[in-house]
Amino acid sequence: MKVRPGLPILSILATGLSGISCAEIASPSRNEVYEWRLITGNPAGTVDTLSFHWPRSRLPVRVYTEDSLSLPAYVERGLQSWEAAFLYGEFTAEVVADSNLADIVVRVGLPSKAGFSVGIKAAAPECEGETELDLPEGSSEIQPPIRVYVNPRFDPSAPEVGECLALTVTHELGHAIGIFAHSPDPNDIMYSDPVVSELSVSDRATAELAYHVAPTLTIAPR
Amino acid sequence: MRFLCAVLVALPAAASASHAQVDYYARVGLTGSTKLARDRLIQEIEVRPGLAPTLALGAAVPFAPNYRAGLEATLTTSGYEVRELGTDSDLGTLRTIALVLGMDGPIVGRIGWRGGLGLIRYWPGEEEGLFLQGGSTRFLVGGGIDVRPQVMRSWDLMLSLRYDFHRFSTDELESRRFTGSQGVQRISATIGLARARR
Repeated sequence: MKVRPGLPILSILATGLSGISCAEIASPSRNEVYEWRLITGNPAGTVDTLSFHWPRSRLPVRVYTEDSLSLPAYVERGLQSWEAAFLYGEFTAEVVADSNLADIVVRVGLPSKAGFSVGIKAAAPECEGETELDLPEGSSEIQPPIRVYVNPRFDPSAPEVGECLALTVTHELGHAIGIFAHSPDPNDIMYSDPVVSELSVSDRATAELAYHVAPTLTIAPR
Repeated sequence: MRFLCAVLVALPAAASASHAQVDYYARVGLTGSTKLARDRLIQEIEVRPGLAPTLALGAAVPFAPNYRAGLEATLTTSGYEVRELGTDSDLGTLRTIALVLGMDGPIVGRIGWRGGLGLIRYWPGEEEGLFLQGGSTRFLVGGGIDVRPQVMRSWDLMLSLRYDFHRFSTDELESRRFTGSQGVQRISATIGLARARR
């Protein structure tokens, strides 16, 4: 049988393709992370580094929101911002209607301070927020739900209070997903007195890193 | 699958109505792909599509004795996963459509070659993660071998192996300062029916 000229064409094509197929995409350096872990002292004089992220087995994280002061809209936006920080589905969330089923509960007000808890605060002139983790003494297992509180300091109908609540909700949700510490940079949403409404490159890079480092805390089943 | 069956049933009917010189075919099979992206966040991370059910449709017209020019469309749908420390996590559904303009000709007997250039479009099930800013369209080059034993008077069985190559990235990866693009190689094996050239 006679071999037709198509075969050489095919072999040339294959050779050419194998030559150009080796180069790989290069990932960015992600140098601009800040410390996200909470470093706490204890009575013995030693320090403990607390870090946490939601495991994939608990996704989507279930979030309940009190229907007050436009909180549902702020929470929706905040969750979308944090979900968008990740490239590989590390964090996803859904809003649930029953607080009894929630992993994170968002309410208006201030924490009750009942029992032992680790509280992380953010304060702006117009409003304040706090995230409360129920971490029993001596335990490394957080008891759900993680509770997020936001509280207006002035008339809640004032536009600046609404803006403050929106960015404070996003900030507090950052704590609830595992960024326990505050950024030193006011351009980051996780700055202690947040002034920006969007996540920065540093916020995203920090969240990404937090979800790829083994945590020191786990969360109990709901 | 219903759509595929409808296509295969409709082909013989279309054959009688079409011009005798037009070569057209439909095939089904599987496509495997190398990784779409790699990253390093403490550990190595790879994103890779799963083995994808494939539908290929094509038509060609002769432009010289034994040689034809044509258009081939290939659709795939599969899950895609991220792998980190040996653990795979599902990222959802990923569909592709590749359109390749090419030519084909004989090698020996009922074995022929095919090669061409075209575009591949990625459609994620959800616009999230590395597809947060939507799907991605890339140039593609590919080729393959077809075997067409006669099974009916008007129809050949068509067994095809395809290889194609493109460079993958997305707007989201570029906006996050990923540089360059990932070389992606795909291989498919398909079987179907082609209108006989006799």
